[in-house]
Amino acid sequence: MTPSPELTAADRGSNSEREWFEDLRLERHAFTIRRTRREGRIAYEWSGEITDPPPLRESGRLDRAQCLEIYRFLLMNRIMEQQLENLYKQGQVVGGVYFGLGQEGNSVASAYALDAADWMAPMIRNQGSLLVRGFAPRDVMMQYMAKAGSPTGGRDGTSHYGDLGPRRMISPISMLGDLIPVMGGICMGERLQGRNVAAMTWIGDGGQSTGVFHEAVNFAAVQNLGLVLVVENNLWAYSTPLNEQAKVADLALRARGYGIPAVVVDGTDVLQVYDACRGAVERAHGGGGPTLIESKLMRMKGHAIHDAAAYVPPDLLEFWRRRDPILRFEQYLRQKGWLTAEAQQRLAAEVEQFMLAERAAAEASPMPDGNTALSGVYCEPGCHAVQPRFEARAPALRAANGSANLAAVEGDAPHLR
Amino acid sequence: MLLTYVDAIRQALAEEMRRDPAVFLLGEDIGIYGGAFKATAGLVDEFGPARVVDTPLAESAIVGAAIGAAYSGMRPVVEMQFMDFIACCFNQITNFAAKSHYRWGAPVPIVIRGPVGGGVHGGPFHSQNPEMYFAHTPGLKVVEPATARDAYGLLKSAIRDNNPVLFLEHKFLYRRVKDEIAEDGPAIPLGVAAVARPGRDLSVITYGAMVHLAVETAAALAAEDIDAEVLDLRTLAPLDRAEIVATAKKTNKVLILHEDTRTGGIAGEITAILQEEAFDDLDAPILRLTSADTPVPFSPPLEAAFLPSAEGLKAALRRLARY
Ligand SMILES: Cc1ncc(C[n+]2csc(CCOP(=O)(O)OP(=O)(O)O)c2C)c(N)n1
Ligand SMILES: [Mg+2]
Repeated sequence: MTPSPELTAADRGSNSEREWFEDLRLERHAFTIRRTRREGRIAYEWSGEITDPPPLRESGRLDRAQCLEIYRFLLMNRIMEQQLENLYKQGQVVGGVYFGLGQEGNSVASAYALDAADWMAPMIRNQGSLLVRGFAPRDVMMQYMAKAGSPTGGRDGTSHYGDLGPRRMISPISMLGDLIPVMGGICMGERLQGRNVAAMTWIGDGGQSTGVFHEAVNFAAVQNLGLVLVVENNLWAYSTPLNEQAKVADLALRARGYGIPAVVVDGTDVLQVYDACRGAVERAHGGGGPTLIESKLMRMKGHAIHDAAAYVPPDLLEFWRRRDPILRFEQYLRQKGWLTAEAQQRLAAEVEQFMLAERAAAEASPMPDGNTALSGVYCEPGCHAVQPRFEARAPALRAANGSANLAAVEGDAPHLR
Repeated sequence: MLLTYVDAIRQALAEEMRRDPAVFLLGEDIGIYGGAFKATAGLVDEFGPARVVDTPLAESAIVGAAIGAAYSGMRPVVEMQFMDFIACCFNQITNFAAKSHYRWGAPVPIVIRGPVGGGVHGGPFHSQNPEMYFAHTPGLKVVEPATARDAYGLLKSAIRDNNPVLFLEHKFLYRRVKDEIAEDGPAIPLGVAAVARPGRDLSVITYGAMVHLAVETAAALAAEDIDAEVLDLRTLAPLDRAEIVATAKKTNKVLILHEDTRTGGIAGEITAILQEEAFDDLDAPILRLTSADTPVPFSPPLEAAFLPSAEGLKAALRRLARY
């Protein structure tokens, strides 16, 4: 265990907040959201300038094949969510649907930075990360449809599932913040078995206000655990804007209070997200402890499908529409000469086809038998073997992917092999 | 070895840690200091600070970390400095750990152990009996031993169990009761009640420190020709329904005694079980003697008025015997 870093006199004397985290951004968003009264009604008002974003920040870490794989996951994420919306409108979904529109780049590129031996726990908007980790779109759909074939057999919905097997994914619970100490604990358990792993999870600008967020980040810092915590600052927590959630403008600043490194990225720039996360993952592998990454982006739909987000000022949406992470990445690939217009169209059509097949498979799954509700509250003898593996080497895992159908698009998350 | 209740707990922890490298401890002040009640004294010297982890003061983070470590294949044992503080990590226990296996098939083999109970003038925040918050939650096991031998054997089973187990140690008993315990002795299965004193005339169903009150009172009542049986539940979840029904069918009269407060205590549940399964065997109404429905008061005369007493128990048993 490395000793906790001491504050130097220079640190204490510093009055520049910006020096306290690494900032990969190429642009700093200069707009404000304020509460005003207009025609007798209280509403949020945006002031700022609607500008175009710069090109992406060159990575140097990702090669062509990796970039194209990321791009495919991005397309899958978006097209899958379009299908989810259709399923909802056709009354095939039980409950609501949550979307990550505008946040796909963040979900995919962060999860892509993990090795197979690392762990991950998605939040509701990180459906792209589920695909990267090897779950199939049909799994996501069946969860929302409460089908027997869903990863939880209909016992839970949304993104609430996981896999202690090869995909090494922890199921979240609804209570925001409570995943964070659990992910730290995974690093602690793995370290006791002889390995430094990274454990990644996400938290929103709202969720970071919880007490358990602070307990968990401090715990991971003191225990030097390889937690990679991506704070998705999408400016809204349901209907509450950032400035009513936190007094600091940069949530990355919180890391300073725990003595851990932090990075700020533009969450619509896939390459920045990947670089920051990969750096954090490598730090975790080297026993360097936790990293907090603040990813600045925008929730482009309502909180869930029922929420029209009428409280969001339209100009704010327009500002971010120009920062669509998929279109920005597409431009980057074009400029590199890695993706022709023709190849792009072919790929998009292929993913569309694949998604229809996934959807058909999800629809074909029956609803669960009511009798299955009563079993499995306890882990009975013979039901699971809890087995640690004491070895310095990371376990040789097969590809994390559980779906043969993913291969229909091209390979099954080959980066995990 | 003649071991006190708290020494028996330490012995079980040490033996389980020697037997299984997956077992490790997390908690506040459990390392060099050995824990507020010295339940882990000396363990850091044998097993080192990586397996006897002194944590920040952060109950949600501690229990969360234990859950995560369990997912990775370990068997963490968490110490709550006082079980009263378990309120601070209620969500981790009831929503994360308890539902994990049911929701997605992921077992959470953790033990959360620590001192409960009153009689030591600890006041409202160091005397509580929180068992029913957890016995009410599907997916949790809740254990409360009354003797040193049970503390030792039940803790071993709790650690080997693949489910989250709350292990409630009555602090009044830590240094007051002793048993002869063999090294590497047997584990005692969870969910099995024990007859602490056999009797013919009536049954006292109880657990924890109240077992001793019941046994002593039963001995005193023998002079009045009342032969009371005492059933020690040992585990509240899962509850040993068969033994509960068996003692009722044997003596036909039941009093349920607990230190937990009255409303929503386990007495209500046991009463319902007996109505369902032994109604025709009962010769008297089911009685209960419990703490009052108040916070645990601090001053000794107030606490004495709050807790069940030997006199109160005698009076209730005499009344029951007269039916
Ligand atoms: C502890 C807790 N309180 C309240 C909620 C209800 N809730 C669900 S999501 C949400 C807003 C979350 O906002 P944020 O953390 O910023 O994430 P985002 O939805 O923007 O991705 C609220 C209030 C919850 N899930 N957990
Ligand atoms: Mg948000």
